[in-house]
Amino acid sequence: MPDVIDWRAYVRSQLPEITGDSARDLDIVEELAQHLDQLFTEKRASGGSSDEAFAQAARELLDHKLVREIRRASSANTSAATPPSMRGAHVGRDFLQDARYAVRLLIRNPGFTSAAILTLTLGIGMTAAIFTVIDGVLLRPMPYPEPSRLVMVWETDRDSGTSREPGSFPDFLDYRQRSRVTDRLGALVPFDASLQPDDGDPLRVAALAASPDVFEMLGIRPVSGRSFTPEDDRSGAPPTVLISERLRAAAFAGGSIVGKTIRINDRLRTVIGVVPGNADVGITQLLRAANYGGGFAARDPRLHVDVWAPLQGDERRWPRSTHPILLMGRLRSGIDRGAAQQQLAAVAADLEREYPRDNDARGVSVESLQDVIFGPVEPPLALLMAAVGVVLVIACVNVANLLLTRGTRRLREVAVRSALGAESSRLARQFVAENIVMTMGAGVLGVIVAIVLVRALLAIAPGDIPRLADVAVNGRVMLLAFAVAAAIGVVFSLVPVAQTRRGALQPILRSENPHASGGHDGQVFRAALVVAEVAFAVLLVTGAALLIKSFWHLRSTSPGFEMSGVLKAEFELPASRYPVEQRPMPTSPAILRFNDALVQRVGALPGVQAVAFAANHPLDGGFASSFLVVGREEESRNWPEISIRRVTPGYFDTLHIPIVRGRGLEDRDADPKSPGVLINQTVADQFFKGREAVGQAIGFFGQPWRIVGVVGNERSQGVAKEAPIAVYLPLAMVPSSAEALIVRSSGDPAALANVVRATIRELDPRLVVFGLEPLQETLSKSLSEQRFLMLLLGLFAALAIALAAIGVHGVLSCTVAQRTREIGIRMALGASAREVIGLVVLRGAAFAAVGLLVGLGLALAFARLISGLLYGVKPTDGATLAAVVLTCAVVAALSLWLPVRRAVSIDPLVALRQE
Amino acid sequence: MQYMLRNLLGREVKKGSAELLILALLEERSRHGYEIGKLIETRSDGAITFQIASLYPMLYRLEKRGLIDGRWVEKAGQRRRRYYRLTAEGRKVLRTHRSFWHEFLEALDRVARIRHA
Repeated sequence: MPDVIDWRAYVRSQLPEITGDSARDLDIVEELAQHLDQLFTEKRASGGSSDEAFAQAARELLDHKLVREIRRASSANTSAATPPSMRGAHVGRDFLQDARYAVRLLIRNPGFTSAAILTLTLGIGMTAAIFTVIDGVLLRPMPYPEPSRLVMVWETDRDSGTSREPGSFPDFLDYRQRSRVTDRLGALVPFDASLQPDDGDPLRVAALAASPDVFEMLGIRPVSGRSFTPEDDRSGAPPTVLISERLRAAAFAGGSIVGKTIRINDRLRTVIGVVPGNADVGITQLLRAANYGGGFAARDPRLHVDVWAPLQGDERRWPRSTHPILLMGRLRSGIDRGAAQQQLAAVAADLEREYPRDNDARGVSVESLQDVIFGPVEPPLALLMAAVGVVLVIACVNVANLLLTRGTRRLREVAVRSALGAESSRLARQFVAENIVMTMGAGVLGVIVAIVLVRALLAIAPGDIPRLADVAVNGRVMLLAFAVAAAIGVVFSLVPVAQTRRGALQPILRSENPHASGGHDGQVFRAALVVAEVAFAVLLVTGAALLIKSFWHLRSTSPGFEMSGVLKAEFELPASRYPVEQRPMPTSPAILRFNDALVQRVGALPGVQAVAFAANHPLDGGFASSFLVVGREEESRNWPEISIRRVTPGYFDTLHIPIVRGRGLEDRDADPKSPGVLINQTVADQFFKGREAVGQAIGFFGQPWRIVGVVGNERSQGVAKEAPIAVYLPLAMVPSSAEALIVRSSGDPAALANVVRATIRELDPRLVVFGLEPLQETLSKSLSEQRFLMLLLGLFAALAIALAAIGVHGVLSCTVAQRTREIGIRMALGASAREVIGLVVLRGAAFAAVGLLVGLGLALAFARLISGLLYGVKPTDGATLAAVVLTCAVVAALSLWLPVRRAVSIDPLVALRQE
Repeated sequence: MQYMLRNLLGREVKKGSAELLILALLEERSRHGYEIGKLIETRSDGAITFQIASLYPMLYRLEKRGLIDGRWVEKAGQRRRRYYRLTAEGRKVLRTHRSFWHEFLEALDRVARIRHA
């Protein structure tokens, strides 16, 4: 080895990444070369050979981290210092290392890990589950082309104050011709279809008759066959039908159904195509939104449209005086709803002038289709999202407190590591890695919890939430869950990262207390967190309590009739076998014969106490008509429409509806020469105040009816709504093809279901019996939305208060641990157990009291927001608030129990020896 | 085992005290990198040594943080060398280091009784 070595060249050869292209690189090469040269010279001077001296010097450059360390340390811009290809690898390697360490740390602390991960999993899982529902129902784009242009064109009635009425068929034709604001206007009419499948009993399915424009606007494309053409829609055209894939799979054998004929409502129709099962998205909701004429949707929101028929409208069948048509339109490009409302209102005014008898007081209201479909579900879903957000916040606060407690114990470790040379940035990266590993683990478990919760939610959710069937945990929800988890992980890291500053660590090293918590600020912060937890928990508990009380009120509100023991069964008598003649009132000897025979047979069944018929069962609103009181025609011009209820005389006995004045209905009241009716108490109070109603005549359907009695109110529009004004007329006088059989049983009404169905089918095997259930069940279904909200909010509130109790307990336990020596000293100096308990209880009570006060304030504001969802309960209901305060106080007291026990059992000698 | 433990402790402590050592030496006067490394070795009686891989990255870090200032100086009769001197900021940090180590050693002594009674 020569004595003169070109050390610069040697350095460049050993460290090729230091290229020497920049001035800085040249400096580094020069400096290192000088160091090696001096080292080599000294070794030679002390007697070593050239080879030995060279080897010793060369060893200094063997460290493979040297280049990275030099680059990082010397360059102003570290991203330029590290070659791009190496940058990601360094960050990745560091993070993997930190992640592995974090996992080991979590495993070594099973108590903390399980508590933290479980808490976060529940919070993230619930949030993801509710978001899944909201995403699937509200946020996903509608399947219609250009949904923002679609509108419902309702008719309004100034006299009755209704604003979402169906229109007449002639009105539809006029609007379609005269509208300048829509490029399409379609009509829909719901109906029930009885059809005969290939095998088995006849089926009852939901059906919709619609004009071809409706299919175009909703973007319904058949998966096989074709859609309707204007030719199919012509009155008198050959009867055709589209069926859903769902029906096709359930009712018909393999092979193509297109071109086959099937029997629907006793009429043969040719199947021209099959549409997707979700072609009816939103249909149920817009039918239910109508003031009347909602058909199957008003009866059961879970039904799906399985049969689509052309409208084949006919002014003779649907004259201007009848209003069965729901109008849907698509606004022209550039036309907004306001302009459409204006122009169509002008058309309505023209029609009112042209047809004063039929269109008197009728106007129009244009409403966005999306508002109609989603309007009713947005408030409850928003409430659930807010509530679950509060639960997530409480869960995070709880885990933050756990982390702070653990962080306290780790501070000494961190302080020593920092003193021994660990860089702050390195420590910070490790904290972030630890927290993200923990929260991402909770995120993964949270997604699993969400999948399970979503299934449970779908099972109990009310049927009128649109698109519920398609709700499922998808990529977007998972992304949200992981994003929330990562964000929580980063936020959790902020405090320990701040604590890695040397200045913050010095007091830890100086302190003799093994539970030193990094100062007074840390304790205040933790106390504030716990108070916030308690406040949020009080908020949720109040909301849940109000909803529970509201639901209890609904359940205990009398509907005006006796439900227990009553079974109902519904069926529709097809016109082909039970014709109805209109002369001038409808009459049908066939229906009357069927009814009489059925009443006798069912009445003879064992266990049956009473039987009756009605055109609409007690919880079915039915339809309404304008009316007047004979002799007060002028006065009645602005009266609202009256609910028409067609019943048999036994209806009131069967349902135990009291006769308040006069008498009940009798067979003689069906005499066309002198038909008799009953009015309900509300009609008597509103329109016959201070007068005797019995004996007076009420006019509707173009003729007078004698009032023979007054009956108690029936909440036929659901228990949440007051009973409408109603008149009861004999079913025999105005027979109905659609009927409900009401049977009072001496025992369990469900036990009668099969035999009642069999009895009906005996009389007519081709009849489809549906809605066969006890009335209690019908009522229960009608309360499904309130029940759903109550259950979910109750669950959130229970979780929130449990977490808050854990939080209070945790902070107090920490306080007791920190003040062990102080408590020991006090006890050694003679303090009694009561005084020690007072120390702990005072602090805990302070948290609870402040949290309660703040929470009540928040709760009152929150309760006002949900007042629309309450029934029979004011948002400021004193009894409910008192119950909430009591519950929270009891839970707070329970959470104090363990810390108090710990404090009282401190041995002063052990505590003093802590030094 | 004890040798390994001493090695581990030595590495960790050296890492934490490197800054202090370098700043303290530069407080006396400006020095170049080789001189700094040599002085640390001799004054510690060989207990603490720094090789290129730890010395120069530390010098460059301190320079980047503005605690020391490096410049090429050509003294009479000698080749051009890079000398480092302590900045005002560096003096402040040195004071903090000294205070921290003083307290740290006191704490260690209280816990682990490292000095003779």
